[in-house]
Amino acid sequence: MQTIAATSRLAALAALVGLVGCSGTTTTTTSQSSSGSASAVAGATVIKIGIDMPVSGADASTGIPTRNGAVQAIEEADRKGAPAGFTFVAYDLDDAVQGVHDPAQGAQNTRAFVSDDAVLAMIGPFNSSVARAEIPITNDAGLAQISASATNPGLTKGPDAASLRTSHPDVNSFFRVCTTDDRQGAAGAQFARKLGLKKAFIVDDNETYGKGLADVFDAQFRSLGGTVLGHEHLTKGQTDYKALLTKANALGPDVIFYGGTTATGGGLLRKQMRDAGMAATAYLGGDGISDAEFETVAGDAANGVYYTVAAPETSKLPSAAGFVAAYKKRWSTDVGPYSANAYAAANIEIAAIEKAIVAGGAKTPARADVLKNVAATNGFPSPIGPIGFDKNGDTTNPILTVYKIANGKGVFVDQINLKS
Amino acid sequence: MDVFFQQIVNGLSLGGIYALIALGYTMVYGIIELINFAHGDVYTLGTFFSLAILTGLGVSGEMHGLPLVGVVLVTLIAAMLLCGLTGVLIERLAYRRLRNAPRLAPLITAIGMSFILENVMQLWHGPSPISFPEVIPNPAWALGGVEVSAKQIAVIGLAIVMMAALQLFIYKTKMGKAMRATAQDRDAAQLMGIDINTTIAVTFLIGSALAGAAGFVSGVYYGTTWFFNGFEAGLKAFTAAVLGGIGNVAGAMLGGFLIGLIEAIATQYIPGGAQWTNVVVFSVLVLVLIFRPSGLLGESLPEKV
Amino acid sequence: MTRRHAALGFLGLALVVYPFVDRNNSHVDFLANAGAFILLALGLNIVVGFAGLLDLGYAAFFAIGSYSYAMLASQQFGIHVPFWLMLLIAPVVAALFGLLLGAPTLRLRGDYLAIVTLGFGEIVPQTFLNLSQYTNGPNGISSLDQPSLFGHAFGFSATPYYYVLLGLIALGILAARNLQNSRLGRAWMAIREDELAARHMGINTTATKLAAFALGASFSGLAGVVYAAKLDLVSPDEFGFNVSVLVLSMLVLGGMGNIWGVIVGSFVLSFINSFLLPQSTSLAHAAGFVNVDFTNYRFMLYGVILVTMMLFRPEGLIPSRQRAAEFHEAILDPALAAQEQSEYEGVAR
Repeated sequence: MQTIAATSRLAALAALVGLVGCSGTTTTTTSQSSSGSASAVAGATVIKIGIDMPVSGADASTGIPTRNGAVQAIEEADRKGAPAGFTFVAYDLDDAVQGVHDPAQGAQNTRAFVSDDAVLAMIGPFNSSVARAEIPITNDAGLAQISASATNPGLTKGPDAASLRTSHPDVNSFFRVCTTDDRQGAAGAQFARKLGLKKAFIVDDNETYGKGLADVFDAQFRSLGGTVLGHEHLTKGQTDYKALLTKANALGPDVIFYGGTTATGGGLLRKQMRDAGMAATAYLGGDGISDAEFETVAGDAANGVYYTVAAPETSKLPSAAGFVAAYKKRWSTDVGPYSANAYAAANIEIAAIEKAIVAGGAKTPARADVLKNVAATNGFPSPIGPIGFDKNGDTTNPILTVYKIANGKGVFVDQINLKS
Repeated sequence: MDVFFQQIVNGLSLGGIYALIALGYTMVYGIIELINFAHGDVYTLGTFFSLAILTGLGVSGEMHGLPLVGVVLVTLIAAMLLCGLTGVLIERLAYRRLRNAPRLAPLITAIGMSFILENVMQLWHGPSPISFPEVIPNPAWALGGVEVSAKQIAVIGLAIVMMAALQLFIYKTKMGKAMRATAQDRDAAQLMGIDINTTIAVTFLIGSALAGAAGFVSGVYYGTTWFFNGFEAGLKAFTAAVLGGIGNVAGAMLGGFLIGLIEAIATQYIPGGAQWTNVVVFSVLVLVLIFRPSGLLGESLPEKV
Repeated sequence: MTRRHAALGFLGLALVVYPFVDRNNSHVDFLANAGAFILLALGLNIVVGFAGLLDLGYAAFFAIGSYSYAMLASQQFGIHVPFWLMLLIAPVVAALFGLLLGAPTLRLRGDYLAIVTLGFGEIVPQTFLNLSQYTNGPNGISSLDQPSLFGHAFGFSATPYYYVLLGLIALGILAARNLQNSRLGRAWMAIREDELAARHMGINTTATKLAAFALGASFSGLAGVVYAAKLDLVSPDEFGFNVSVLVLSMLVLGGMGNIWGVIVGSFVLSFINSFLLPQSTSLAHAAGFVNVDFTNYRFMLYGVILVTMMLFRPEGLIPSRQRAAEFHEAILDPALAAQEQSEYEGVAR
């Protein structure tokens, strides 16, 4: 019953989208309500997938590899052969203005996707603050949007999320393949206690992801009986953390917990621990430091570091190794921390579009159908493990893995299931 | 108390890098009154050049004895030379034409050059941080409860040596005299037969070479670099130059060390201090400028007429 | 003169009907964003273009305007001041901060002032970030109150904001023009050209400079309110040094001191930044050049524009005659000198 109601609402939404779309300039695609002959023209009908990432300036180091992951999925899908009569194209826009991700630019890019009838789904944005500006727009247009990296819990859950769904409060258009900070922070705290670590000093990068993660770890670690000696936030652009580490060391922590990414200081922080006389102190972080860059920056000091990844152990999945190799071949660089996430996100959308094409009898699908298929994703195989979405748009797989770096490589240590 | 002295050591070694960069800022400002925004990026370029040279020499890890001395000297001098020439080139292409234009014009040009350099470096090594070989072994010595590492001594020592050499150059050589004369009154200096263009070019050569030296030591010290490094370091170093009294070589050095110390002490003694370091540094700057506009060591000059 | 009025009228009409012609809301969104930056540029033009004071931390006032809307018109503290009232309050708040910063610092030499403002520009957004118990830190404040007019809420479309900005820009142009031609405007010009001489002519230089600072700040307070309401979000990473430099570059490109030049400059840079660069890469990809990536060259292009403009046309695309003359003083352009002379006589007559 519920699904029928939802479908009719989505259909109404689709009609709305069609109405807005028809007044636009492009004519290659039409919604199902029209005759449908448009898609049968000679030459393939272009289906675009919008990608919104910060890819210039200081944000380029994280944005470009993420965008590349999504582009690669779209290129592969197109090469493999889109359904007859269709071709997949990436429509990627930069949301950095003057080198920093910009919510206003993200919103403008999202409107560009929405205004282009050929865009049936979008990937992005990278940052949670940009996502806040974009979600109301995709919600209004009924455009499926999957982020690879925006982990702030308020984007999908609670009153915060409700306030973002302004036009259609009952419809969710925003999904993410990364887990939320609250889960990772909790898993990190559980694991730290399991190791017998009692006193933690917490450092975060004062960005949405890092601070969110660290705040949850802070609360969870205390509630599990641990002591938090201090909680500091880094200043953007800093490269010298010796003073901070000296301060931490004087308090005698068992573990430094880091909330943030390698680029915002995670690697340097670890490297400088040795210089500050903290080589023996444990170091634990989230998936923000689960990239090859961490080992590059921290060097030998990377060994012994623990980090959580919000997915089951992936090394046994052949698709992960295949993706990493293909990525390296296509882009001549190593994968970034969110490349695989973006690749998975794009593949989910491609599958949803293909399914809608088949169901609709080889006609160009409506955005609403694509959105419905994306929302119904369950057990989708990907390099980061099987993915499914709950009603909020969050991944249903609350299994996290803890790794420890040895000889410059992450080795499986523990698996934490938050369902139990 | 140990923690306090440890923070002093931390602050001084961070400040040493600021000081080296600040020297270039202060020289350029002293002579043509230009805030050379591209200077921070010349510093980053210094790490990139050093990395290229080390890679060319086939160095990828720790070295010892005579080869270490050789590699360090070759890399340092080559990086300084390359950065110096870059500085001269920038001055020739972008600033010389604007020497008599209103202040804003060369400043904007400098911002433009900064963007260009950043972009070149991004195209060179990509947008992500890159690792820098740890050439120098890093033993540490405990003095009381305070730990001092070889690299920290190297950074602080190099900054002091460079400043002393620069002081000697400015006060004991003919070219140094020409630089001081040009800084004081360009037209009068020209009338006295000083080749202004050469003098300014030499200023850029030396200032940028010092940034190259800073780039090399920061690469060795932190073991990593990134195309965007120069932005923050440049702002702090310029702050250091103003704090010390812009145009004053000893002042730049003092300012650099002070900024490093302020950062370390603020981090230690303010609760949640790490996030307030920039606010503290820039507040100190604003206060110094309000109450002692000429900086700590600068002479107080009325506005030039 | 009439021809010029006709052209202006036509332009105004075209701008008013534009959202009805182009139904692509991303274009209207782009124009609205560009409009906010035009407002910022008009304000900075008062400080830099008219009074000749170099302000490198202008984005701080933009942040103050945006955050005052976010704090006074949202669930954050349960205060709900109406949008239209905020359009009056925020400029005053920003101007007060301008006075606060300007009062102790404006007696400093030009370059020191630049550095103090730069420091201020760093402190303000960092403080908004750090005071997370009031500002939600890096998350920023979202779900701001939506403006409404005669009971109609603005909703999430960019179009109503486009019209608000259009109106504010028109008012801003009028205000700037009147200021420029006022006694205050002439005092600014005098200070810009020779502060010492101006002081000897009996101009209270500190008060005059303070006025420029406060008035300039009030424009960005205004822009901040509309920008925040339109985006429905304020976050601390929108107001960095790069934004200050962007606005300054808009003045440089268009022509410091010339109102129309500033508008053209900010539009052109907004167009390049927010439209041309993002869109052209996608077009290239769609055309089959999958490895072309213009965004990788964004800063290169940007830097080249700034450098070449300064080297070859420092007075900007649409120069103010006065400023052009100042820029070319050293070159002693006889034609320009004559032009200036005739203009001067025109004014005197």
